[in-house]
Amino acid sequence: MKHLKATRKILRGRGIVTGRCKGIALVSQKPLSFLGGVDYNSGIVIEKGHDLKGEFLRDKVLCFPSGHGSTVGSYVLYSLVKKGSGPKAIVNQVADTVVVVGAIIAEIPMVDQIDIKQIKTGYIVEVDGDKGMVKIVGRGD
Amino acid sequence: MKILVRLGDLFGATRLIPIQSTHLSGVSYKHLGDAAIDFLDELASKGGRAQTPSSLNPSSLDQEILVKRYSKDRVAKQQHIIELYKKMLIQPTLTCTPYYVQKPKPTQHLAWSESSAVVYANSVLKAWTNREGAPSALAAALVGKTPNYGIHQPQNRQPNVLIKLETKLSAETDYGALGIHLGKFLKEKIPALEGLRGSDDELKQLGAAMASSGMTARFHREAPSKKEKLETMTVEAKDVEETTSNLCTTDQKPDLVFIGCPHCSINEVKSVARALEGKKVRKGAELWVCTSRHVKEKAKNYVNIIERAGGRVLCDTCVLVTWVKDLGVDTLLTNSAKTAFYAPTLNEVDAILRPLSQCLKTVCRS
Repeated sequence: MKHLKATRKILRGRGIVTGRCKGIALVSQKPLSFLGGVDYNSGIVIEKGHDLKGEFLRDKVLCFPSGHGSTVGSYVLYSLVKKGSGPKAIVNQVADTVVVVGAIIAEIPMVDQIDIKQIKTGYIVEVDGDKGMVKIVGRGD
Repeated sequence: MKILVRLGDLFGATRLIPIQSTHLSGVSYKHLGDAAIDFLDELASKGGRAQTPSSLNPSSLDQEILVKRYSKDRVAKQQHIIELYKKMLIQPTLTCTPYYVQKPKPTQHLAWSESSAVVYANSVLKAWTNREGAPSALAAALVGKTPNYGIHQPQNRQPNVLIKLETKLSAETDYGALGIHLGKFLKEKIPALEGLRGSDDELKQLGAAMASSGMTARFHREAPSKKEKLETMTVEAKDVEETTSNLCTTDQKPDLVFIGCPHCSINEVKSVARALEGKKVRKGAELWVCTSRHVKEKAKNYVNIIERAGGRVLCDTCVLVTWVKDLGVDTLLTNSAKTAFYAPTLNEVDAILRPLSQCLKTVCRS
């Protein structure tokens, strides 16, 4: 049985889109573009050279430094969430309009100003878009 | 409204300000997809209507040629998107060059998306627009206002990088390659290009390219008075040459020669016509000249010359937003650095970048 003391950690940032959820983190250290970088139907990352290439976004708490690329990307994020292939929540280092607007219209929680280097893929996290917090509650054994 | 207020809060706006016009991207079915149609449908049915003059970016097809080459389903979905925008009282101008249709005046506040149009409006026409997203531009259209952050505040309009051009720019492709090169380094910063000359058409290429590889919304043509305090970057001939060379992904013979990214000005249509006068496009070769309906109408005589030579002047669309691969195109020859930059990923085709004269020489019978 692992010690629980080391697992709980609270990262404080800025709430961008309200809402709370709990899920498994999918973490990238590279910016992500929704238009062209993610398959629009399946929600698989297809961006060449991306550290998340081949991963499904479905139901994950997607953590990445910031978005880039076409603003139509906001509609791609909306479309993925509506289809059920999208992430549950977004955690960024720096919010950019494409991702912010996408999260608003998709109605998923979003937090930025988080040091995402503290989160690893597989961690169980709670995202609070109202308080602007990400809580690591498990390390996904 | 929610979108505008949240964006405004995030980026330090103090209030919403009225705008003279909006321009919307997110029109081509190729990029928009099905679920966004539901989103637009909901907005239109709930009574969303434009409160300010609003125009649209290119669609995935024109009404003469491509409309006959795609499946009924694809065509129907594309037309449906345009109908939804029309229902919201947004003008179906279907061009990335709304400034040719309705020229903004200096110091007008706008809410435009389409990065190439944003940079042109800010840098050449001296209007003020942020680099809007497709949904935020739509939100601004429906409310008639935008939050006063970014370029709407004077302190954000000043250059923060000085670019020293130590090379001569001759062809329009040099301007485009320069733009691609700069965009990568600048990201969001605003450059002052000391000593930059160039026609409006050449600056249009520069801006479109810069906005593609980077996130900038504006460039200046003169160095500011306090230039010693600015971060400096030098551009030499080899930077432009290397960028041009890297934008060419193949040396295969092109399947399609494409002129018109951004959409051609009357002047550019004239240049193509002049070069094609008395010549014929080779059998099996295809030449597209893309422009707005507005320009096509005004440049009728030049359009006739191009079409008599065997070229096609298409409105409402362009290569990047349509399914060229489905039309059998694997290699593209263009004079647009923006197209050469995007086509390999957005269209999965190879691209070659050459100035207009060379593009037309390639496509004509010797």
